[in-house]
Amino acid sequence: MAMLSFERKYRVRGGTLIGGDLFDFWVGPFFVGIFGVTAAFFSFLGTVLIFYGASLQGTFNPWTINIAPPDLKYGLGLAPLAEGGLWQIITICAIGAFVSWMLREVEICRKLGMGYHVPFAFGVAIFAYVTLVVIRPVLLGAWGHGFPYGIFSHLDWVSNVGYQYLNFMYNPAHMIAVTFFFTTTLALSLHGALVLSATNPKDGEPVKTPEHENAYFRDFIGYSVGTIGIHRLGLFLALSAGFWSAICIVISGPFWTQGWPRWWSWWLDLPIWS
Amino acid sequence: MGLLTTIDYQNIFTRVQVRGPDDLGIPIAKGIYERGTTASHNYWFGKIGDAQVGPFYLGVWGLLSIACGIIAFEIIGLNTSQGFKIIPPLSQGGWWCIAGFFITVSVLLWWTRMYRRAKALGMGTHVPWAFAAAIWLMLVLGFIRPVAMGCWCEAVPYGIFPHLDWVQAFSIRYGNLHYNPFHAFSIVFLYGSVLLFAMHAGTILAVTRYGGEREIEQIVDRGTASERAALFWRWTMGFNASMESIHRWAWWFAVLTPITGGIGILLTGTVVDNWYLWAQHYGFAPSYPPVNPPVVDPALLPGAR
Amino acid sequence: MSTQIKSSIRFGTIAAMSLGLGLLLAGCQQNPPEATQQNGYRGVALEQVQSPKILAKLAEANQAPEVVPPGDRTGPRASQVYQNVKVLGDLSETEFTRIMVAMTGWVAPGGVSGSDEGQGCSYCHNLNNMADESKYQYQTARRMIQMTREINSNWTNHVGATGVSCYTCHRGNPIPSQTWFTGGGHPKNLADGGGWMGANNGQNLAGKHVGRASLPADPFTPLIQYAETIRMTGKTALPTAKGETIAVSERTNALMNHMSESLGVNCTFCHNSRAFAEWKDAPPQRVNAFHGIRMLREINANYLAPLNTTYPATKLGPEGDAAKAYCATCHQGAQKPVNGAPMLGEYPELGAPRP
Repeated sequence: MAMLSFERKYRVRGGTLIGGDLFDFWVGPFFVGIFGVTAAFFSFLGTVLIFYGASLQGTFNPWTINIAPPDLKYGLGLAPLAEGGLWQIITICAIGAFVSWMLREVEICRKLGMGYHVPFAFGVAIFAYVTLVVIRPVLLGAWGHGFPYGIFSHLDWVSNVGYQYLNFMYNPAHMIAVTFFFTTTLALSLHGALVLSATNPKDGEPVKTPEHENAYFRDFIGYSVGTIGIHRLGLFLALSAGFWSAICIVISGPFWTQGWPRWWSWWLDLPIWS
Repeated sequence: MGLLTTIDYQNIFTRVQVRGPDDLGIPIAKGIYERGTTASHNYWFGKIGDAQVGPFYLGVWGLLSIACGIIAFEIIGLNTSQGFKIIPPLSQGGWWCIAGFFITVSVLLWWTRMYRRAKALGMGTHVPWAFAAAIWLMLVLGFIRPVAMGCWCEAVPYGIFPHLDWVQAFSIRYGNLHYNPFHAFSIVFLYGSVLLFAMHAGTILAVTRYGGEREIEQIVDRGTASERAALFWRWTMGFNASMESIHRWAWWFAVLTPITGGIGILLTGTVVDNWYLWAQHYGFAPSYPPVNPPVVDPALLPGAR
Repeated sequence: MSTQIKSSIRFGTIAAMSLGLGLLLAGCQQNPPEATQQNGYRGVALEQVQSPKILAKLAEANQAPEVVPPGDRTGPRASQVYQNVKVLGDLSETEFTRIMVAMTGWVAPGGVSGSDEGQGCSYCHNLNNMADESKYQYQTARRMIQMTREINSNWTNHVGATGVSCYTCHRGNPIPSQTWFTGGGHPKNLADGGGWMGANNGQNLAGKHVGRASLPADPFTPLIQYAETIRMTGKTALPTAKGETIAVSERTNALMNHMSESLGVNCTFCHNSRAFAEWKDAPPQRVNAFHGIRMLREINANYLAPLNTTYPATKLGPEGDAAKAYCATCHQGAQKPVNGAPMLGEYPELGAPRP
């Protein structure tokens, strides 16, 4: 029985969004629910289609499997399965699975009487994915602008899209996103380390307190954001990283087609120094 | 209104700020420099975190570190460039070397300060060791790899746009950094850190109504906040961390980002000259059906000029 | 706070955010949809994404001039009819006159008789003695005709059958609007040190000719004039010999930025950026670009750079060099100069000299 010692009293019925008691049970450690069923369906279908695509491609090398979107000529229409249609169905499966997973998280939150921060955060990640494979392709007028599903083929896409703007790192939204990525990682390391350092002092010493954490950070940089604050800050930083990633790619193409270095002309041409 | 009411209970910011006496910190042993004895308050800081700012502690190591940092900042603010030889003429990169020296000294002094503050409070030294991972990446980029390559000109210039140009030129020179496996690891840990922080911070905020933000207490004496947080992930993905182990996951993901990144940079040019060709050799570069007529390097054709 | 105030704050926030978003979109160069074109296998973004607004502006700016009606190819040769005809002497008299009329329009429009100084025939000629060689413009024009014929006959691997005419570069200007001088046009190119401020290796300047990146502002002097190496990517998986430095890589990057911006295309027009150096995966346009670089090297070395002794000092660059050609000189932002007008087809006189 895959249950933790304290788990039984938390396993209660109810809290589902739709479907009432339908699928309101656990399988092993997993909660099922109606969205668990839909998530499993979409994941299974998507995975099978990826393997089918790999067999059409003739490789099962995980690094080089490539499920590519259709040629641009198909526009926003459907493409034959072997020419990007698989990518289209797999994209639907992925979005279906992600959204199901998020709604299942909402149901679990409700069962446990928790806030909705985690499903909301996952929603931001889904938004970033949907921006890449739906919003931007629709704005550009063809599914072919989505990225291919493959470990290294998607990196080739990243490379080529980046060099379409000569140097993608000059993209101001990309700069903001990268800054948030690095800052989140910095903040995570500091938070993880601070809690570990308070709970893992020298052998024989008592575990330290949040007052020690505050004192350490005030000695360190003059400010301690506190135990709730660090989690609010961390969530903000992490979600900002995802959000600005979506912004930086959706403006590239639909709203700006030249080199990103040239975008900075407005700054170079400010009357102060030009 | 239903939705708005729901949002009101999600603990996004502090609605009522209670202000007690200032917390002037755990007493520390007497040294040359004393910790400050006053603190101020900032209402907007109080909206998301602690409103108290200070007391400040400078210390000998902090003073020296900031002094070196200011020198480096001044030099970078006035000029920069890349140079050659061990100590090139100032205008040909000498200033880069001096700025780099002062930045490095400043950072190392700051590391010492972090280490000593942790010891002074009787805490573990996890924070300085995490910081050391970032110092490793910085030293690889600005010191270790240039020395290994035999030229300071391999280092990263100090400048917002110039360092971005450097990144791009570096990737093209060494045949596409995306095919560098350690670069891939570093990105995985970078994105993984962001994912982990969103998961962890989201979970803790979601159980603040049960006192979940009191992580240390929850670690030593598990309460319902910990239990719900654990069960949330167990029911979602079949696996959960504990209130302590999630911080170990966090620490390792964050710390491995610069460590693996630094390894990837250090191998580039010293051990591998073209990552794309290397990937082809090891069979992990995908190949695509040809669309265009085949192209031959015209420089190899007879009569090429 | 009352509910009313709260909801007005909420409304105000939403209104302010919408306004901000609106301003952001208004500040964009282009609203979708874009003109797109795929030039590689699907999915890996080997494509051009261009703004129809910019393309229309470019097409407008690159209109071909009206064609001067063709002349009779028979009859005595220009060299027999006129004095001191050292180039174009192989044309018939009517063809010769046709080219002279066309050139006036291409280079120095302003009427055949020349209504003011520097315009019309008098831009190059002494109107009292058309064979007088004393004007530097006359000597330059002679050399430029030779260059045009050289390009049209020996550089078909770049210009194809389309060919070039004086208009391809001049566009109605006595001096083409897009040329380069050593130093990248930045007055303080401190390549060899500028005292306390330090050398910048000609970088960090938001280079006008290199897409406003902070890359080297003048990659043309080393790579076009001195034909130094453009190829800098490692040739083998593992290091075999001492490779090129990052500075060399940045220089190449700067030249490539110039090429992209001059043609209004992005890097993937000629490269599969996952392996810039590989020819196997490269779009075929790259071969054309390769020959373009070689063409520039030769015409700059043989025709344009040596004119520094012909030009008056006021026409020279800060280093005393003559104005030289790069990709933008002909292309001027368009993938095909002058919208691909068949210059050689319309003016066969500008092809190889006839025997």
